[in-house]
Amino acid sequence: MAMNLHEKRVERQLLWILLPSLVLLVAFVIYPALYSIWLSLTNEALTGAAAANPRFVGLKNYSRLLADGKFWNSLLVTFFFVIGSAVIGQFVLGLVSAMALKRSIRFKRIFSSIILLPNAAPEVVAGFMWISMLAGGEHATLSRIVMFFGITPADWLQVFPLAMIIIVNTWRGIATAMILLTAGLSTIPNEIYEAARMDGATPSQMFRRITVPLMMPTILLYMLISAISTIAVFGLVYALTRGGPGGATEVISIYLYNQSFTAYQLGYGAAVAVVVLLISLVIGLVYVRSMKVEV
Amino acid sequence: MKKTILAGLCAVLLATTSSLAHAETIRIANHGQAGIDALKPAVANIEKKFGVTVEVIEYPAPDKDYLSKLLTELAAGNAPDVFSMPSASSVADMVAAGYLAPITKEFKAWDGYAGFYDVAKELAVSPDGETYVMPFMLGIQQIYFRRDVLEKAGISTEQPKTWRELLDRAAEIKEKSGAYGLLLPAGVSWGTGAFDEGFQHLIVGSKTPQLVEADGTFDLNGEGVKDVFGFYKELIDKDLMPVQPLLGPEPWIIPKYEMFPSGQLAATTCGSWCYIFDWGRESKNPIPNVTEVVGTWTVPGQDGGEYVLANLAAPWGVSAKSSNVELAIKALLEIGAVETQVSYAARIGNIPASRDAAKDPEFQKLTELVPIHAAAENGVFLKQASGFGTVAEGVARATEALLRKEVDAAGAQQILVDYVKETLGDEVVK
Repeated sequence: MAMNLHEKRVERQLLWILLPSLVLLVAFVIYPALYSIWLSLTNEALTGAAAANPRFVGLKNYSRLLADGKFWNSLLVTFFFVIGSAVIGQFVLGLVSAMALKRSIRFKRIFSSIILLPNAAPEVVAGFMWISMLAGGEHATLSRIVMFFGITPADWLQVFPLAMIIIVNTWRGIATAMILLTAGLSTIPNEIYEAARMDGATPSQMFRRITVPLMMPTILLYMLISAISTIAVFGLVYALTRGGPGGATEVISIYLYNQSFTAYQLGYGAAVAVVVLLISLVIGLVYVRSMKVEV
Repeated sequence: MKKTILAGLCAVLLATTSSLAHAETIRIANHGQAGIDALKPAVANIEKKFGVTVEVIEYPAPDKDYLSKLLTELAAGNAPDVFSMPSASSVADMVAAGYLAPITKEFKAWDGYAGFYDVAKELAVSPDGETYVMPFMLGIQQIYFRRDVLEKAGISTEQPKTWRELLDRAAEIKEKSGAYGLLLPAGVSWGTGAFDEGFQHLIVGSKTPQLVEADGTFDLNGEGVKDVFGFYKELIDKDLMPVQPLLGPEPWIIPKYEMFPSGQLAATTCGSWCYIFDWGRESKNPIPNVTEVVGTWTVPGQDGGEYVLANLAAPWGVSAKSSNVELAIKALLEIGAVETQVSYAARIGNIPASRDAAKDPEFQKLTELVPIHAAAENGVFLKQASGFGTVAEGVARATEALLRKEVDAAGAQQILVDYVKETLGDEVVK
């Protein structure tokens, strides 16, 4: 059906209203992404002859990437980091916190403030705080705690580096998980729980049969946000370990930084960035498909 | 109407004046507060002599991040007019990238040129024959050892004459004192230090003492490179050097600032600054009577000979995109004056590249540095070429694999060769 003059004018107005956002989106998201793809097909560098005269190298950066053991190592480390801190650590503790805060417990406000506190400290500051807690020697906080129990202290960031960055990132992300999951919990009507209780359901049954299924869209949304944001975590890991020791905590963001700003190979670094973009897209697609099935 | 025209003219005049004022400002980037303090006399001289304003910008980051920031700004065309570079191994690449303005003519015509050590002049010349940097400070590195630890354990403190003697001495230290026998910086976290403070000391005394061929390609498949990695391998496998701290984010802190002062590490490569800053009067963890307690050995050659390896320490250059290259070069030459060299030596602990510094009474007060300054006359150096920064990174990766005991010497050499080929192309490696 043809639009009348008024409708056309409204549509034009809407386009004008959207234009600033579109311009920003193109300038700061779409153009850089396309430029990164182009960059990944060149040998562009930050220094050396390639900085003065970059060449088109086709898919050479990608074939090199596939044969680079350090790249695969960083993907594996990232996988464990995401599973350990986002999927298990933050989700479980966030859910526990959200469910605890739904009940009328004592010191509820203090409890929720404590959980929110880690988000107040910037990533790098939080990283340095944790370094002082996890450093080697008898004076570090964690060492003092374990020594109190008669356990020999260790240089925690050297001996258990991946576990340590998982713990720190979990600590930092609980608040986000708690807020999102609290929102999800609040959408479940109390009447459902009351009915279940009257039918003799145990708390465990209510959790498995009511809470989890009804919260599934929120859980999936949380998983999407948290997985993608954990893949992008840089400052915290850089401050804590810089990817060491010996690549044990070289998550993909650190690997990308090292290629681009330590080895100064912008083209190769861009290829890594494109792969990260693809991984994030795949996770997003999986989420969209899951939502279609579930909702 | 008249008022409007007048206001417009004033605005144009103001804009022109401010633009001219901007053109008369020289931006100088320096690394760390000590360097900025050392630069103060030079800044005053530049402002007075050329009637300009000098804006000194401090880049407080570690070496590696400082270089990344500088390179990013140079690539973007908004770098400072004059700047220091944290590592000499980055110079050839910066020249190849077109970031540095040539200073050959002005440098050779300058009064201070004749007073420089030959090694400094030669180090400043790039592969294309031009000079791009002011070589006013030298980094002279040697092996520093704990004389007291060795004497107490009944171990000779004589200069080791070959690599074998040095390795045997390190093993004897471990056996008799329990301390680690020798530290060579290694691994990715140490950045360019793995090359600058470790690998290159050995390669100059190896069977293939230069890495750069006449045609500018790299000879990385040579016997010398493999032997150097073999040296590292023996130190690591026999537990003669501390390995675990080198895999951490700030690998120098535990060995240099804790283990060496406490005597848990008995020998390490280090620069002239170590006598002052790492363990001397400016250290947070000083060793009492440091010049007596800590002795020095030059690095022996593989089969004999002694090598005093000289580096350009934080060379200075001028941005090719400076708004006033001519003025920036004049400022650079002013920075190279003997007075600034001595000021730097006092605050940073590097060695003045000018012979005339020896006559300066202020320099004579730096008793730890005077004998090292004299030794610079016989300094040797590695020839540079574009891609040297990549070689340094490749060495860091190769030594990291050795630290993790993943490869033998040949495997480490292969990592270096593969990395340089992958990064720069197959044709650059001989």
